[in-house]
Amino acid sequence: MSAKPATNGKYAIEAHNLNVFYGDFQAVRDVNLRIEKNKITALIGPSGCGKSTVLRSFNRMNDLIPTARVHGQVRFHGKNIYDPDVDPVLVRRRIGMVFQKPNPFPKSIYENVAWGAKINGFKGDLDQLVEESLRAAALWDEVKNKLDASGYSLSGGQQQRLCIARAIAVKPDIILMDEPASALDPIATLRIEDLMIELAKNYTIIVVTHNMQQAARVSDYTAFFTVTPDRTGYLEEFGPTSELFTMPKSKVTEDYITGRFG
Amino acid sequence: MSSQSLYPEGPELEAFVKRRRRLGVVWRSLFLLATTVGVIVLMVLLLTIINDSFGYVALEYKVAPEKMVLAWFEKVMLNAPGVETFEDYDDLAAQIAARDDAVGYLSHAYYQAHADELRLAPIDGVAPDAETVANGSYLLTRPLYIYTSLEALRERGATAAFVGYYLYHVSETIEQVGYFPAPDDAIAQAQRDWREATGLTPETLAENMATSGRVAASGGAAVAPITLAMAEQMQREGFEIEVSVSEKGAAAGFEDFCLGQADVVNAGRAIAFDEEALCRSNRITPVSFQVGLDGMAVVVSRSNHFVDGFTLEELQYALSTAPRWSDVRANWPDKPLLRFIPAPESAAFEVFIDAAFGLEPASHHERVLSALLVDNLPVGVVRRLNREKPLDQRSHDELYQLVVERIIEPTIVQTWSLLESIFEKETIEAAVAQTPRARLEFRSWVNKDFLTSPQSSQPELAGIRTAILGSLWVVLITLLFSVPVGVGAAIYLEEYGSGRWLDQLIETNINNLAGVPSIIYGMLGLAVFVRALEPLTSGQVFGLVDPTTANGRTILSAGLTLGLLILPIIIINAREAIRAVPRAFREASYGLGATKWQTIWYHVLPNAIPGILTGSILAISRAFGETAPLVVVGASTAIFMDPSGPFSKFTTLPIQIYQWTARPQEAFHNLAAATIIVLLTLLLLLNAAAVILRNRHQRSY
Ligand SMILES: Nc1ncnc2c1ncn2[C@@H]1O[C@H](COP(=O)(O)OP(=O)(O)OP(=O)(O)O)[C@@H](O)[C@H]1O
Ligand SMILES: [Mg+2]
Repeated sequence: MSAKPATNGKYAIEAHNLNVFYGDFQAVRDVNLRIEKNKITALIGPSGCGKSTVLRSFNRMNDLIPTARVHGQVRFHGKNIYDPDVDPVLVRRRIGMVFQKPNPFPKSIYENVAWGAKINGFKGDLDQLVEESLRAAALWDEVKNKLDASGYSLSGGQQQRLCIARAIAVKPDIILMDEPASALDPIATLRIEDLMIELAKNYTIIVVTHNMQQAARVSDYTAFFTVTPDRTGYLEEFGPTSELFTMPKSKVTEDYITGRFG
Repeated sequence: MSSQSLYPEGPELEAFVKRRRRLGVVWRSLFLLATTVGVIVLMVLLLTIINDSFGYVALEYKVAPEKMVLAWFEKVMLNAPGVETFEDYDDLAAQIAARDDAVGYLSHAYYQAHADELRLAPIDGVAPDAETVANGSYLLTRPLYIYTSLEALRERGATAAFVGYYLYHVSETIEQVGYFPAPDDAIAQAQRDWREATGLTPETLAENMATSGRVAASGGAAVAPITLAMAEQMQREGFEIEVSVSEKGAAAGFEDFCLGQADVVNAGRAIAFDEEALCRSNRITPVSFQVGLDGMAVVVSRSNHFVDGFTLEELQYALSTAPRWSDVRANWPDKPLLRFIPAPESAAFEVFIDAAFGLEPASHHERVLSALLVDNLPVGVVRRLNREKPLDQRSHDELYQLVVERIIEPTIVQTWSLLESIFEKETIEAAVAQTPRARLEFRSWVNKDFLTSPQSSQPELAGIRTAILGSLWVVLITLLFSVPVGVGAAIYLEEYGSGRWLDQLIETNINNLAGVPSIIYGMLGLAVFVRALEPLTSGQVFGLVDPTTANGRTILSAGLTLGLLILPIIIINAREAIRAVPRAFREASYGLGATKWQTIWYHVLPNAIPGILTGSILAISRAFGETAPLVVVGASTAIFMDPSGPFSKFTTLPIQIYQWTARPQEAFHNLAAATIIVLLTLLLLLNAAAVILRNRHQRSY
């Protein structure tokens, strides 16, 4: 990925004192997190602790929620993406997203992959890009003969890989994944995991998951979130996955990963 | 506490479930009742409309259309060179046989009698025989009738017996006479009618051979040979009935009959309308019995060696005005053509004109229609019409319209609803019989003329073309205005509206506007479009209209008013459709770095379009049926010119319905009902389009 613009050293994205509110409700408090480049970082924690909220604040998806407010900084390429002079479209162009529920466009498989390229002024060979992206998403062999079929003619796991292909077709720096395998069976889940490991060679991946084994299997770093009694989420512990799972520093983390939580 | 004590169990549980189910049954019955009431009301409404849209009409024609056409052809044919008419078919046959340059036509029996000296000319390759006549493929096929009166059948034993014998034996004998048997069902029908009228059967007939008396038959020469044959046959079998047959033509025969001077009429055609009227005025009720079929033969002499048949066109020319044989077909000899034909009073003449040319004025060429106008209208009127627009430059429709309006001049005397027409047919017929000139016609008020004729103050001529075009124009303007504006507003409110107080105010307003009575929109339209913006809506600023007559009561004003009226509906529906686009598509789109507009354009709108279209079509159909605001905005009560654009005066279908319903004459109510049917049909089509669109675009996500 030498073609990418130079970045500030080791980290792909950094959160500084990140606070997110939905109206008057504070969803997360004081998150400080540095995500390393070309690594897989897993966000884990109990339901409602603000994982999705943090993830979505990394590419300003929260802008779509009228009540959402973000305080603090998210530094990307050394620049706070919440600065008033930053165009969220540019941020999202560089930080792609794969959602929990597969959401292909109601268009052909080909169009699903090609559309992002088209609107972003892609100048190369579209056919080639589509093939490349589908191959990278390990979907090519299954769909190469029916590129004109609707994205919705695929199985759930195939649809999710199509969404991944769609995300990587625009060559982002970071891919955010919000429980990408939660709707899939174990086999499809494993395929997605293999895919993430494969993609990590070129991309920085941040993945939200409820699946401890998954976090342990695929991620390099793990961030454990939990909630205060007033339901505000915060970052309890962050570190290399191997350390966090074997010798957690915090008692709360340990309880959670050993299944003794709440 | 155990759960057993908290929930009903056992019999208590059963009773509990039953009770809940009973409640469901009560609700279901209520819904069923409501639905039934709704359906019944709708059915009653539809039935009322249909009841008024079909039924009998008593019409009076100043000139009967078929008589007018017949008279014109008679004139043309008799004025042509080389024509000679005959009252006696034998004479006619002999004359044709004697000349190799003559052509003519005559009843099949007479052709058969002279077959050794005449040669038959097929028409379009079809010659009359049992088969071509029975299936009607031979052009000059006609039914042969005898007529008698209901009174004679009831009161005169000899007539009743003779007709009965006739009907039960004619099919055996008719081919010997030279005709073809009537279809079985026609004969069966005739026999049934006879049995019903007389109370006799073939068996009682045979038992009463002693019935004696005289039967006087009059009428045309065509049927006479059959009647004579039947009379002879009857006498041979021992009946005592004496039948006298006189041959003076169908017209004279009917006259005798209607004056009570004949018991039976031999007729090669059905009784004419005025003949029937004459009969009825003498309290004679004519009853017709079909006794056979004739295939009138077109013949030349055996000494004519060139005619091998005619095409229909050649036949028309040869038997009307062609001066020379070579004019009919180029390789026929260049010598004068002689036409020997039955007398114009005969049924054969009329049947021939009907079959070869047609008696319906509308079926004729512009040339014929112009000639009809010239022949039947005063010179001054023709001259004036020519000044307005020369007759030879007028279209078929225009000429036909003139023929109907100026010559035939139909007037509706009375109309009856469908139910009356079905259940009180006899009363209606009796009532019409009182007015000798009136003729009864079963009419569908929705018909081609009704759809294509312009508005008129006379119900028999009035149509709804003006109103249909007006409605379409108004709706077009409505559509062009309200759909783009409404969809645009919906996009703004859904996608860009920030929920600030101004947006919320607009939103509340739109929701309220959807409930404002339509008449208020009419007043708004009057104040704004008709009055304030008059220079614009009248077309004056564009210099398109005559400034002295221009005013704001135009299609444009009406369309904009209706546009305002349905704007809230379109906005609300479009917002609903936009909102129904799954959030996931927007997120996916934004996630790829799409801008807001790209997201709207590529994902929100395409997925919302079926819903937007459905909503818009339903809104448009509301506009289509709207009346009150248009009355206020100034729909014209009487315009006879088709609207030609946004600045024309207009009327619409609902306005037309409203106006016709308000008229006192019954016929206008029928017209209104027919218009309702047209309006409902158009609305149904619009709604069907909405359903089809919705189904076609049904998504699988
Ligand atoms: N659009 C919203 N409006 C208001 N509150 C919200 C909204 N989205 C999330 N929240 C609240 O913010 C908190 C964090 O939600 P979030 O979706 O980030 O949790 P999560 O960790 O992703 O949970 P899960 O594991 O169940 O997905 C929750 O208490 C939730 O109720
Ligand atoms: Mg979540």
